[in-house]
Amino acid sequence: MPANRIAPLASREGLGGAYFLLTFRHPETAREARPGQFVMMKAGLSAEPPLRRPFSILATDPGRETFSLFVKAVGQGSSALCAMAPGDEALCLGPLGRPFTAPPAGTEALLVAGGYGVAPFRFLGEELRRTGGRGRLFYGGRTAADLPLLERLGGLGLEIVPATEDGSLGVSGRVTVPLEAHLDAAKGPVRLYACGPDAMMHAVARIAAARSLEAEVSLDPWMGCGIGTCLGCVVRVQGADDARWKYRCACTEGPVFDSARVVWPGEDDSKARRARGEGRP
Amino acid sequence: MNLAVEVAGIRFKNPLIAASGTFGYGVEYEGVLDLSVLGGIVSKGLYMEARDGAPTPRIVETPSGLLNAIGLQGVGVRAFVRDVLPRLAKHEVALLVNVCGDSVEEYAEVSRVCDGAPGIAGLEVNISCPNVKKGGMAFGGDPRLTHEVVAAVRKATRLPVIPKLSPNVGDITVFARAAEEAGADALSCINTLLGLAIDVEARRPRLGFGTGGLSGPAIRPVAVRMAWQAARAVRIPVIGIGGIASASDALEFLIAGCRAVQIGTANFVDPGIYERVLLDLRAWLERHGEDDVNSVVGTLEYPGLPRPCDSGGCA
Repeated sequence: MPANRIAPLASREGLGGAYFLLTFRHPETAREARPGQFVMMKAGLSAEPPLRRPFSILATDPGRETFSLFVKAVGQGSSALCAMAPGDEALCLGPLGRPFTAPPAGTEALLVAGGYGVAPFRFLGEELRRTGGRGRLFYGGRTAADLPLLERLGGLGLEIVPATEDGSLGVSGRVTVPLEAHLDAAKGPVRLYACGPDAMMHAVARIAAARSLEAEVSLDPWMGCGIGTCLGCVVRVQGADDARWKYRCACTEGPVFDSARVVWPGEDDSKARRARGEGRP
Repeated sequence: MNLAVEVAGIRFKNPLIAASGTFGYGVEYEGVLDLSVLGGIVSKGLYMEARDGAPTPRIVETPSGLLNAIGLQGVGVRAFVRDVLPRLAKHEVALLVNVCGDSVEEYAEVSRVCDGAPGIAGLEVNISCPNVKKGGMAFGGDPRLTHEVVAAVRKATRLPVIPKLSPNVGDITVFARAAEEAGADALSCINTLLGLAIDVEARRPRLGFGTGGLSGPAIRPVAVRMAWQAARAVRIPVIGIGGIASASDALEFLIAGCRAVQIGTANFVDPGIYERVLLDLRAWLERHGEDDVNSVVGTLEYPGLPRPCDSGGCA
């Protein structure tokens, strides 16, 4: 059950550029959060910016009653959070949303991250290590500077495959390049997980559909409340028994969705139906 | 210290009510909030049938405000009565249903369904949603249609009838009086202000619907002015709405003549706002030697104007 309470900042660490690791005290999130879930956060009670922001949970520490976020200061909300000093108070509602589904035993989890979309995958990697699962993280960005979390992903039992569009680190090209190369060579069963820019997640969804693979995507639309009351964050998703897509709240029915059921921007109903048919073996 | 207020025959244990569209159907907050802290809850707007709502994106942040075009996505009044009402019954909080319609007949029909359902304290009549193509603001933008809808709802129910007025009109007192004459028991003032936000790179509206309704602290002075005008124009009580995020904000509306207030956009910022506002409201009343929140209502000293109570306007 999510809790709405003040969360003091426990620690703040700059990772270079606009990237920060922020750790907050919030017992319920620390105890109950699952990989893929998120919190709604706002620095203090100031009038600006008006709304809280959703952030995927990077890690939890139930013993210390804390959770951590990986935040890029890109706009008013994230910048205000990143400017907090330890002891400052944030408003926090969490943990929220539907988590990732764990891969079946013996299935390799292929995590595809774009930029700060990597945040939930550290948490998922922890879970995989704990449960003895196998995983590989394709971590993409425009340049090496967009992969500041790279050094913090050790010890998760994940094979890390960095990719940069300018070739400054790892594979040269988009993150889907090493993903497809791995899929071409993979022998056993795999399951895809994607979090990042919409275009990247859509690309992963197409790859999954073309290869009849299961894939989960973590969507990130603007959110008002985080708990299903404002209906501001809806996305077009086709349920198993639906004749057509319905608007579903990314905050309560997501943010994690089966990629084959998402009607992506620019797609129409018929395309969604085709995708649905193709998405299952 | 008395915080309880009575509006349209409905007793609210305090004057803070969650505004329609900002608190879902209330049950979303079960387990997160103690719903009995609230004076009341107004449901998300309900038609006879379920609705998809407006295309995305549906919300955009603006300076101290929120521009939205949700388009009244909802489950329909029968599903609400069947699935939600029994869950809300456990919580000690006055429930108002926000009634919508594409036609006068639909408003009446939704009202009739509510009339026979247990646990509904009153009906707020939504004649002011700017984000639907039919109905909505059309009824709230023409005083004759306002009269027609309110009269039809009045005829369809024994429940208190509380039209929610639009700020997107020239003179709100004309609409306030039309609603009063048609049999309204109280008024909710105001709904969102019609707005447009533009993505200058794409040269397109930032909302999927195009225009949207502006809410939040940005609209508060407009809302206080219109609620004040409406309260002076009618004998029925007025519930003030618009950008309330603190006890001081709520007091502005009470002093302006509102008997109760609704908190809207601030629910998204902090759904725990009610406890904080109530604490600060009590502290303000104590500091000013008041032992009843009702004694603050309509105490605005406005230079050059008689207070409405002086002319017998307070029933």
